[in-house]
Amino acid sequence: MDLKSIVHVCLAGLSTGMFIWLVASGLTLIFGVLGVLNFAHGSFYMLGAYCCFTVLSRLGNNFWLGLLFGPLAVCVVGYVIERFFLRYVYRLELPYQLLLTFAFVLLFDDLVKIIWGAGSLGSPSVSGLAGSVPILGRNFPTYSLFIIAVGPLVALGLWALIEKTWYGRIIRAASSDREMASAIGVNVPVLFTAVFIFGTWLGAMGGGLAVPYVGLLTPGMGEAIIIDAFVVAVIGGLGSLKGAFLGALIIGLLSSFGTRFIPAFDMFLTFILMAAVLLWRPQGFFGEAT
Amino acid sequence: MSKKGFTRRKFIKTGLMTAGAAALGTGVLKPLGLWAATPKIKGPIKVGYQCVLSGTLAGYGEFHKMGVTMAMEEINAAGGIAGNKLDIEYRDSTLKADEAIKNARYFADSWEADFLGGIDSSGQALALAPVMAELDRVLMVTHAATEKLTEQQVFKNGIKQIFRISMPTYQDGNAAAFVAKDLPAKTWATVSPKYEYGYTCWAMFKDTLSKLKPDVSFIADSWAPFGTTDFRSHINTIMDAAPEGFYSVEWAGELIAFIKQANQAGMFDKIKHVMLPVGAAMDVLEGVGMEMPDNIWISGRYFFMYPNDARNNGWVANFHKRWNHYPAYVSETGYSAMFAFKKAVETAGSKDTKAVVQALEGMTLASPAGDRVFRKEDHQAMYEVPWGLTVSNPKYPFKVMGKQIVIPAKECFNRPPFEGPNTKPPF
Amino acid sequence: MQRAWNIAITCLALTVLILIGLFAGRFTVYLTSRVMILSIFAMGYNLLFGRTGLLSFGHAAFYAAGAYGLGLFSLHVSPHPLIGILVGVACACLLAAVIGFFCVRQTEIYFAMLTLAFGMMVFSLIWNMRSVTGGDDGLVGIMRAPISLGFFSIPIIKPKYYYFLVLFFLAMSVFLIYRIRRSPFGLVLAGIRENDRRVEFAGISLKNYRLGAFIISGTFAGLAGALGTLLESNSSPFSAHWSHSAEPVLVSLIGGIQTFTGPLVGSAVFIVLREIIERFTHNWMLWFGLILLVIIMGFRGGIVGALSGFKK
Repeated sequence: MDLKSIVHVCLAGLSTGMFIWLVASGLTLIFGVLGVLNFAHGSFYMLGAYCCFTVLSRLGNNFWLGLLFGPLAVCVVGYVIERFFLRYVYRLELPYQLLLTFAFVLLFDDLVKIIWGAGSLGSPSVSGLAGSVPILGRNFPTYSLFIIAVGPLVALGLWALIEKTWYGRIIRAASSDREMASAIGVNVPVLFTAVFIFGTWLGAMGGGLAVPYVGLLTPGMGEAIIIDAFVVAVIGGLGSLKGAFLGALIIGLLSSFGTRFIPAFDMFLTFILMAAVLLWRPQGFFGEAT
Repeated sequence: MSKKGFTRRKFIKTGLMTAGAAALGTGVLKPLGLWAATPKIKGPIKVGYQCVLSGTLAGYGEFHKMGVTMAMEEINAAGGIAGNKLDIEYRDSTLKADEAIKNARYFADSWEADFLGGIDSSGQALALAPVMAELDRVLMVTHAATEKLTEQQVFKNGIKQIFRISMPTYQDGNAAAFVAKDLPAKTWATVSPKYEYGYTCWAMFKDTLSKLKPDVSFIADSWAPFGTTDFRSHINTIMDAAPEGFYSVEWAGELIAFIKQANQAGMFDKIKHVMLPVGAAMDVLEGVGMEMPDNIWISGRYFFMYPNDARNNGWVANFHKRWNHYPAYVSETGYSAMFAFKKAVETAGSKDTKAVVQALEGMTLASPAGDRVFRKEDHQAMYEVPWGLTVSNPKYPFKVMGKQIVIPAKECFNRPPFEGPNTKPPF
Repeated sequence: MQRAWNIAITCLALTVLILIGLFAGRFTVYLTSRVMILSIFAMGYNLLFGRTGLLSFGHAAFYAAGAYGLGLFSLHVSPHPLIGILVGVACACLLAAVIGFFCVRQTEIYFAMLTLAFGMMVFSLIWNMRSVTGGDDGLVGIMRAPISLGFFSIPIIKPKYYYFLVLFFLAMSVFLIYRIRRSPFGLVLAGIRENDRRVEFAGISLKNYRLGAFIISGTFAGLAGALGTLLESNSSPFSAHWSHSAEPVLVSLIGGIQTFTGPLVGSAVFIVLREIIERFTHNWMLWFGLILLVIIMGFRGGIVGALSGFKK
């Protein structure tokens, strides 16, 4: 167990964690503001990946263009879902909201299969970020370093948006007290739609970034990541972006060290952590007590 | 005068031909007019086929259908099975045992299938075995690889209705060991799926290689749960252990992700001897493309370039013309399964399960993958698939097998009674 | 009026079920057995979901407990089916008590997430304890031994005999759940769903009642699991996966969450619809998603709710 080994395990954990953060950020934002736990967030991730792939293959394998335009297409889907479906179930109980988003999961899984085919699609690497960097004698993929850099950037961006801008203030107001915000003139329905679209965009961006990271697109790729995102969101504190960021770091590092050093390591341990947090500190490590 | 002569000659010729036809049987002549009036076999021959058509492995289901549909078209164009049309219905097996069971019951009890085919997951195949005994229909397994199916369910428990036309885990475990024994690698490690298939193959590989080359040691293993997309921690474990040889029975999308990520980490520069038992699968070759490292050992349940004979090459060309795709191994096994049914039914002269089972036992089937023989004791088809070193070939947009080693099935398949001495290779 | 509907539907269902058992073909008998088993799962589950208002994503774990409890008992101790069912039910009950103890400490989304976490823990355990559970191969070859009752034995290996055994358990479950719903305990549960603060002010321990509902629903899940294992002669770890937990939820929703017979009707519709859709297309998830959307957006009372609505 030498330094090289530990450094690489850390790096792997960081890139895993930041990747999950990118996906979980949208989920957390939507839950924090709208109070809806969106099962279909994994589908947005998947759609983002597929749309990005389609755009980049049409535009000469240009990943950046794919990343730019692909998720925008998914935003349209997000708009339709919020405006025409989700809006009508806010006042209903939790199960109906969850089941509504679950219905969309089923829909999108089959739609992706119908539109893009059932087989897996191999994705090309990104020129400029394709190689690897030798760190302490072993190669670490450049793209993973990119992910490790993007994660905190997105976190900073979101923090700045929510804490420092006028929009952010409105969002915070509407999420803490819907009626009051409406009373002072905030158009809450439009705001909610906007936040949902933004959350969708974050999820789809996560999917776009996944294209070179995972290297492979398959129908049903949303399923695994959504559970990871849920775990992270819960551990960090449902609705807390800061919590989700740090929670993702914890889970990423935990699974990296666990896989490397604990033979019995499994999802079992992450779920125990999740249950423990829910039982003793349901607001998560960094959320506010309700 | 000449007219009479012609008539007599013609008469003798016709008589000889009829006698010849009767003697040679269906294998040679098109079974048109001769069989149309056979009273024993009535109605279309119905095959209920189930494969994975949803989720991450949905591509495999599509590959199954390509092969099976092509077989159906060819068989029906040539007059069907014993003059009857071959009718096939497909169902999504998913990966859950009770779905497979429901589909099997639907096929047998509701749709009145004469035969069943398909099944990708080993767990499903095992769960289906007692059900097939109850339904009393032949199931030709075309993918699920667990040796427990044939060793325990068919041989030990006596469920005669199950046959398997595809290569079982013996290829992944035993045959790999035979190839590995000639490699200079003395230490081996693995990253394999964290379920029965992974555990079984690694155990078989270790077991057989230890017997063939006692001075090897197995220094590290890392188990990736089903659905893993990020293999980097596992790759870390292996690279820390620095083995000379690496073995992985990861397959499908997971193998594609693994190879790409291992490439990025430079694993294939550090470890010179790599064995991927299911690396020659078409979806893997295409998915990895030119990123596939050179000079690693790959194999599968059928490889489209072997055997390099007219029959196989012709079939591959036809397949490519029909589907604009090179055949996956499940395409070949699905295709050949239909012909196995055809030959068995026509040999037995009946579609009755008992008669077909008897016809299939010990039957030789000429198929694109070679001449398969269905072993009588465990109903496992015996044939060969090579292990090959990856190399570029300008004809294809993916890497293919260069140098090939073929381990005869007789040498690497476990032998009945499967328990006790001299049942596991080497013999 | 609701009561009359309940009795009418129950009698109709019983009659249809008996007729199917006597006269239908083998596949219909099998499919209906599955409907009945899913009904038991869903009716028990709806006691927690519809009646008490708690959404659990982990009840598949108790189904699996019943399945593996019976499976292990049958393979290693004795293939006697009734004792096996008892063992399975007991395992599920015990597991539900342990897990429920922790879960009822939270409500709403936190409760749902807790049940998800525990359910997946059970799934992971079953998958990884290979030497006991067979890993992802599961337990196979669990046969239905005849039930010997003194002078004669019932050969439940035959599908139709087993069908009537399942029907017996369904009838028993329906009766029990009906009684529970109408008991003081059941009325408190309804009160908790309506307004838990008020119930709490009345001096009732919310936690204990929720736990009670949790354990009861878990026990019925275990019964379903045991019966399911005997039907399919195997148990698989996927029976503990959260996607399996979604089934009683969907089924109750389709049938009508707030109704008594909803889960029964929903189970029949769910399984039959799936079967019909599969005969036309492989994209059954698409159609199910659409149907769910329609129900949630327009027909939240489910089928039974809509029907009894017409009466009004």
